[in-house]
Amino acid sequence: MLLGRQILFFGGKGGVGKTTLAAAHALLSAERGLRTLLVSTDPAHSTGDILEADLGPEPREVLANLSAMEIDPAREADLYIQDVKARIAETTPPRLVSEVERQIDIARVTPGAEEAALFERFTRLMEEAGGRFDRILFDTAPLGHTLRLLSLPEQMASWMSGLIGRRRKVNALGRMWRRVAGSAAGDANEGDDPVLAALEDRRARFERARETVSDPDRVAFVFVTIPERLPILETQKAVETLGRYGIPIGAVYVNRVLPESVDGGFLQRRRERESEYLDRIDDTFRSYTVHRIPLFETDVHGLDALRRVVAALPQL
Amino acid sequence: MHLRRLWSKLRTRLRAAREIYEGIFMAPYRSQIHREYLEQRDLFLLLGFSDLLGAPNPVAFYTLELYPELIEQFHQWHLRMGMEHAPEGGFRCC
Repeated sequence: MLLGRQILFFGGKGGVGKTTLAAAHALLSAERGLRTLLVSTDPAHSTGDILEADLGPEPREVLANLSAMEIDPAREADLYIQDVKARIAETTPPRLVSEVERQIDIARVTPGAEEAALFERFTRLMEEAGGRFDRILFDTAPLGHTLRLLSLPEQMASWMSGLIGRRRKVNALGRMWRRVAGSAAGDANEGDDPVLAALEDRRARFERARETVSDPDRVAFVFVTIPERLPILETQKAVETLGRYGIPIGAVYVNRVLPESVDGGFLQRRRERESEYLDRIDDTFRSYTVHRIPLFETDVHGLDALRRVVAALPQL
Repeated sequence: MHLRRLWSKLRTRLRAAREIYEGIFMAPYRSQIHREYLEQRDLFLLLGFSDLLGAPNPVAFYTLELYPELIEQFHQWHLRMGMEHAPEGGFRCC
């Protein structure tokens, strides 16, 4: 029951058709009367292309019950930086503002900044599942990226815990120092520690995200692959990684399976090769639900073509 | 009235006695506690902002918002470490 979950992630090697399958599920969900949001992080705008709609960074309704959006990681990172700067302007001594801003601009271009900003946006969207939207489907970037993204809460929360522990120790020692030094303690800051408060707030958000992505009643990860060697291997590795982080796997889709009806010697030989791969897929992913989607005569573009894919989906 | 003056005198004496006591017993620990406090503070700075020193920091993006709180401490740190000006690559606080 894939569509029973509030949040679905679609992932797979580049070019296997995850955008198409994510869009097909979104369409099916909307046609069943569920308020659905389809989120794409693909910079090539392929989701907008399939839905024949102009999408932006905020949800836009493209059909009844179906909204879609395209997140641009670079834009998200810029917005986050702006937000931090605005907050900083309130609390920083004026002589240091320009220096702090310079440092923040450096951080903007470090690797991981866009990923972190993207993750930030994902978590905020996930919090809307069950509220503004009944179902949220994420069409994610190629696999390696997504896996890192989903493992972030786990890793970040534990790193934050380390920092929080350190900070508590600093504060305890500060209190001790003030007690023995009296007025000589001078600038040692007293009272509530804004640094500790900010760290704890962060950790709480990471932990909420971690709870969400590992809740099998609410979330499922859907893999899309094709019956070829490399995509199978990559999917296999990804399945193991997600398992390690406790992220529930909903189904594995095998896309572009040659239909029975195709003829000709060339295709016949391809199908023989393919059937070996299909056997391998069934065997490798036997503990998961595996669905086959046929190869279509034309590529999927526009709502009519998408409806043909929906018709090929198993009973969800 | 009389009683109150007596009490106030007594309190002054008690406080003086406490300060003498602290001077004798606590003074040796004071500098120790202070050093420990500063060391821990520096360590926190290092862990939270290791990216400034070139070491990877997985949460660098999320500790950005702490900059204003910690830039002053960074300044104190480089002074204490005997660097008159901020080292290259980090905050240019001076």
